This record gives sequence, C-alpha cells and structure tokens, in this order.
Amino acid sequence: MNVIIVEQLTRRYGRRIGIEQVNLEVPEGVIFGFLGPNGAGKTTMIRVLLGFLRPSAGRARVFGLDCWRAGHRIKEDVGYLPGDLRLYPSMTGTDMLRIFGSVRRRDLLAPGRALAELFVLDLTVAVRKMSRGMRQKLGLILALAHRPRLLILDEPTVSLDPLMRQHLMQQLQELASAGHTVFFSSHNLSEVDRLCDRVAIVRDGRIVADESLDALRAGAKREVTIRWARDVNPRDVNVPEILEIHHRQDRLWQGSLNGPVPVLVRWLDSQPIEDLAIGHPDLDSLFRRYYQQGRSD
Amino acid sequence: MNRGLILKSLREAWVATLLLSLALMAIEAILAYVLPTFADQFSTFLLQLEFAQRMLQALLGTDIGDQVGPGVFSSMAWVHPVVLAIIAAHATILSTRVPVGEIDRGTIDVLLGLPVSRWGVYRCELVVFLASGLVVIGMGLAGNQLGALLVESKPPSAVQPLVVVVINLFCLYFAVGGLGWLVSSLSDRRGKAVAVVFTILVGSFLLNFLAQVWPLAEPVSFLSVLNYYQPMLILRDGGGWPVTDMVVLTVLGVALWLAGGLCFARRDICTV
Repeated sequence: MNVIIVEQLTRRYGRRIGIEQVNLEVPEGVIFGFLGPNGAGKTTMIRVLLGFLRPSAGRARVFGLDCWRAGHRIKEDVGYLPGDLRLYPSMTGTDMLRIFGSVRRRDLLAPGRALAELFVLDLTVAVRKMSRGMRQKLGLILALAHRPRLLILDEPTVSLDPLMRQHLMQQLQELASAGHTVFFSSHNLSEVDRLCDRVAIVRDGRIVADESLDALRAGAKREVTIRWARDVNPRDVNVPEILEIHHRQDRLWQGSLNGPVPVLVRWLDSQPIEDLAIGHPDLDSLFRRYYQQGRSD
Repeated sequence: MNRGLILKSLREAWVATLLLSLALMAIEAILAYVLPTFADQFSTFLLQLEFAQRMLQALLGTDIGDQVGPGVFSSMAWVHPVVLAIIAAHATILSTRVPVGEIDRGTIDVLLGLPVSRWGVYRCELVVFLASGLVVIGMGLAGNQLGALLVESKPPSAVQPLVVVVINLFCLYFAVGGLGWLVSSLSDRRGKAVAVVFTILVGSFLLNFLAQVWPLAEPVSFLSVLNYYQPMLILRDGGGWPVTDMVVLTVLGVALWLAGGLCFARRDICTV
C-alpha cells in the first residue's frame, strides 16, 4: 500500500516554480529520502503534503486522503519536524509534551521522557534557554513521541552531533522495521546512503530520479585503481568501454567503472596486473551529476 | 473544542491579560475616585468654557447638553483615552496571535503539524479572547467600584447602569477583535497587522471626536466603532440598554471574525 501518492503536482509562487508536475509514490514501511539542493522544492513538497500549501495543479494524498481538504485528519497519524524549527519560547519540553498530548488526546509524557533520555535532553529547560541542537532534539521528540504511521522530517539531522544522528538513525530504522513510513528530505548524501530504502532526487522543482537505493547504486560509478605488474604502453592496452581512465602515473592507473564488475574482472584476468582495487559505488558523484545537469542545461 | 489548544492559548495570553487587567483596574479606580471628588469644580469650570465643553463632548462622543451632571463624570471613566487604549491593546494583542503571530515567529508549522483544523485553532482562540476580555473588563468594573467606594461624600451609585456600559464595552472589544482577526488572517507580519489595526482604530477615534466639533464629519460618523459606544447616554438615562449599538458592534465583530476565519482556512501558510 502506498502511504503517499502524488500525481502531477505543481505548486507555483507567482511566477516562481516551487515544484512542477511531480509524481511520487511512497510505499508503507520504507524510509524514503527526498534529496535535492537548497531551493530545489523539497520543503514545498512537504508543505503541500501537510496541507500548508494548496496545490496549483495536480493532487497529493496521504493515507488515501486529500492533503488540502483533510489535512487535520491525516495529521492524527503523522509526526512532523519542520526544517526551520521554531518552538514556543516560554514553554519547557515537559509543557510542550503535555500540551501536544492534550491536543492529540493521548499521553505523550512517558514516551517523550524515554526519548529525551535517549537524546540526552533536559525537558525542564525552557525553549528560550535551549541551544539550537537542543531545540532540534525536542522537535524530534515531539514528532516521534506518538509513534506516527508516517514521519515527515525536513532536514532532521541539522544541528545534531554525530552521536545523536546515530540515535536518530536507529530510531528511524526501528520505526520502519515496525511498518512505519519515514519520509525525509536531506542534502546529506551519507545519511541517505546509510538509511534509505528508496530515494527521489528533485532538481528545480522536478523529480529527476525516483528509484530504490540499490538501483541507484547499480547506476553509480565505482572508483577503480589498477597497478600493472610491468610497464605498459597505454596504446597497447585495449581498455573496455565501461572503464574510463582519468589518471595514469607509471604503473598506477585510476579511473571509474560505469558497468558491471564481472565484465571488468574478466578483462583484467588476461592482463598483467599486480593489484586491483574497486571502490564502493560513488553516490556522491551520482547525485552531483544529477544536481549539476540542471545548471549546465 | 480542543482542550490542549485552549490550554496553549491561555498559557500564552495570561501575562498580557493580567497586566492589562491590573492597569485597567488601577485607571478605573483612579478615575472613579478623582472625577466625582472634583465634580463640582469641574462643572462650574466647564459650564463657563464653551471650548472645554466641546472637547468633553468630543471625548464622550455625544451631546452633553447644558448640564454637566454626575452621569457625565461617571461616563468619563469609561471613555478616557487610556481606558480605550487598554481595551484596544488587549483586543489587538489577542486577535493577532493566530494566524499572523504564529506565522511571524514560525511556530505555526508546529501548531498546524498537529491534528487540528484551522477553524478549530481559530475557534479556540476566540474562546480565549472572549474569556480574557471578560476578565480585563470585569477587573475594570471592579476598579471602578473600588474607586467609587473611596469617595466619602458620594452616595453609592447603582451598579446596573455600569453593567450595561461594561457589556457595551465588551461588544466594542469584540468588534475590535474581529478587525484584528481579519487583518491577522491577511498578513504575514504581526507588526504590520498591529499597525494596520492601530491606524484604523485611531482613525475611528478621530472621526468620532471630529464629528462632535466639525459638522462635515458628522454624516460619516456612523463609520466609527466608537459611534456605537456611548456610556454617557446609558448612565444619564439610568441604564437603558443601547440595543442597536450592541447589535451593530456584535454583528460587525462576528462578520469580521468569520471573514478572517475564511481567509485563514483558505490561505497558504508560508514561514520561509
């Protein structure tokens, strides 16, 4: 079942395009990464999903309900962390959990305290006295405390230290393994690489890729390093098309592999090599390629 | 009605409500004590000066006739510019909290991230607005009675006419709040919304003032909300209900509040 279904969704701000003709489906129980550089349309997409913005065209549905018309019903099962998080300055974490619990008509204090322990946050401190990182933790606690079916996080790891990021990742993985869905926007590739089952890449308001991470990895280049056993003349070596050599220094050649590893290994089997190193798929360069395509177009 | 939302609003509104209640109570106590104490001197003085009489008439927003009696002095405590400013300030502060106050400080994302409809939030704000308005005006009435008790020479005045004045004042408070909500629903910056409401209220006050001293302004004086709040007439007539004035203010308040709610429910929420 798809938790989020977006069809031909367009949202403009006057002449400026927020997102344009976006189609997206997010299945239940996955961690879905929504990637793109600043200003690409990630936050616009999230704001449409939460019913903050009315679509200019197309439609967005969460749990089968229209996001604009039934936003409040959708949010009963949604936890949301805004990108630019602002909380009520005079309230403490406990106050906010109590009030939010009262709004949601469920006790959030007990799960909130457990999360505060995990994230090492003192809930008795007033928001105005909290650092940015502490506020971010409180925002996460408020989004996670009711264990929502769908968690929408806009740049969740901003201001978190590496240890807290690790805790957050664990939480999200636990939620996903229990059947909850996580939709999060980011421009941090390493956390997407570690966490996501599926990724959509947005550029200038349009989706340029929407695939599983494995499919993306399959399409990503790998760094290859070859050390020859003896001096070789490059003109004598018939390098396969899938291997692109960038750098040659004596017997050391470096390049990128844009194809299956076994094809390369079979070719190298007949070559006088001393050593071979094949790196992990380089998602970073893949994303950069997607991002930069728009600028060069 | 969502209890959590009401708790949240009360928590944020109580400081302004307490401070303005105490201020209104103090002002009313002072005015209720000072005005009757010097009533005789004031009357003699004012009857001799046409200009001063005109100014008093302009302040009260109605013709005071040729005798400046106790009713006039009692009503001055309810139309004093400081009293009106406190009421208007409270109404403006509370009515511009949602949506523009929340949008301006960016907390609307968290608020509307909860399972509440925009109308639900808006209704809860109205409940808190009305309840805290009752507190502020009630404290004003208490201050007025306290000040009157301290005047030894004066016989105890009837409470019923004062209650009618206070209810009329509450209708005025609601109309100002309605304006605040409509402007709030159309704005993205709270400072700008407050400035617009303040400008309209000052214009309204000036129009009501000018209508008493400048015949050209009289035909359009019905546009001023203060035209529908004339405590002197109530106190002079011994507490007759100004039904038309109250209905006009209430209908205006309801219409503006509903218009604000429609705008809020249909608008885009942008905080970035």
